[in-house]
Amino acid sequence: MTALEVISANLDYLLLGSWPAGPLGGMALSVVIGLTAALLASLLGLAGGIVLTLGPPLLRRLVAISAALLCAIPVVMLIFWCYFLLPVLFAVDVPGTLTVIAALALIGGAFLTQAVHAGIAAIAAGQWQAGLSLGFSRWQTLRLIVLPQALRIMVPSFVNQWITLVKDTSLAYIVGVAELTFVASQVNNREQVYPLPVFATVALLYWLWCSGLVWLGARWETRYAGVGRK
Amino acid sequence: MTPPAWLGYGWLESHFIGWMLQGAALTAWLALLVCGLATLLGVLLAAGYEQRWRSVRLAVRTFLSLHRNTPLMVQLLLWYFGVAGLLPEAVMLWLNAPHEVTLAGWTLAWPSFEFVAALIALSLYSAAFVAEEIRAGIRSVAPGQHAVALALGMTPRQVFRHIVLPQALRVVRRPLLGQYLGVIKNTSLTMAIGVAELSYSSRQVESETLLTFQAFAVATLLYLLLVLGAQLAGGRARPTLGGGR
Repeated sequence: MTALEVISANLDYLLLGSWPAGPLGGMALSVVIGLTAALLASLLGLAGGIVLTLGPPLLRRLVAISAALLCAIPVVMLIFWCYFLLPVLFAVDVPGTLTVIAALALIGGAFLTQAVHAGIAAIAAGQWQAGLSLGFSRWQTLRLIVLPQALRIMVPSFVNQWITLVKDTSLAYIVGVAELTFVASQVNNREQVYPLPVFATVALLYWLWCSGLVWLGARWETRYAGVGRK
Repeated sequence: MTPPAWLGYGWLESHFIGWMLQGAALTAWLALLVCGLATLLGVLLAAGYEQRWRSVRLAVRTFLSLHRNTPLMVQLLLWYFGVAGLLPEAVMLWLNAPHEVTLAGWTLAWPSFEFVAALIALSLYSAAFVAEEIRAGIRSVAPGQHAVALALGMTPRQVFRHIVLPQALRVVRRPLLGQYLGVIKNTSLTMAIGVAELSYSSRQVESETLLTFQAFAVATLLYLLLVLGAQLAGGRARPTLGGGR
């Protein structure tokens, strides 16, 4: 068999895993992990950034320390923590996919917490003063005046973090979740003949996915942040 | 004192901590080599980006896009399995066999193939990110500087080497430190191809002792120490790197 035949024979498996006969796997599972983790990380980041801006001092400190710690350790370590300890702590069987989503969402959320906090801080103080002197509460000022402006500045941070998350879905390989990278190594072990073409195909799939996000991010940036900026 | 049930009724014996310290040392060594290689290559790539020839710029752009927009894990597997498949069998046998070089009383062991594959993959991946930071730094140098140096009779290479690069490096010191911290964290992925670094050794200790919490706690702490140490080293280097400022 040529390399092309090997890849086309395994393409369904790379894209979907053993679905529909078995559980969803391959690139489809990577997309599910990536999208869920990106959504959760964005929500966490937004909440964390708002807490760092408006929260009570004790909570602020707690969030700041946890975010700093999460940003300082490798994603692999956090995946280990979630994968091996969540089942022990809660005495239930947590599926590998969920633990990976939890780890990625936590790390992504920690980075976005810092980005959102910095984005809010970048808005001129006059905006806050104007809102407050119009009788808005601090929360209203943030939600109606500051955040809409800050989110535009943050578009590149969010897109970069999503791209990082997409790439980090491949770390699920380490704990044996059958996403694209794991499935590719299975194909490689089974076929034994064309490791380079197999992994190059997988790299190409990830590249298309990430490049799509880069393209989308560039479009958003010109649309939302283009005004008033060069 | 015996720890409670959820801690597995035991503490780690000292030789297990020794395993993880060895892992941490390998992590630090690998990260150091990668940072050096990635910086060198990153400067070359950034310089290539500023070239007049379109083909050079296109090649650099392609390299950056391919390395930045694919997962490091896949790149590691590609180097480890893919390149091993391309090399002739005799070369692979030689690479996998232990070799030693004795130089003036120092014995240098040839590293394992896993280590070499990890070093290459990590360096190329990190170089792509370092190159983008340096390029941003180069862009921040006022174009007038370039013109003045050229008008003074310097060649374009001299201008890059003596005028643009030193100023750019000063601007990118902070983002570069961020990239170096990222390198320390990224070395953890090399456990997937069998490099016995810190994450690998923590998994080993975990499966040997079943003391999950303790093993990962020690490894996490060691990572924090490495990252903190690198941050302190980066902070201390500031006055010397910053010139007269």
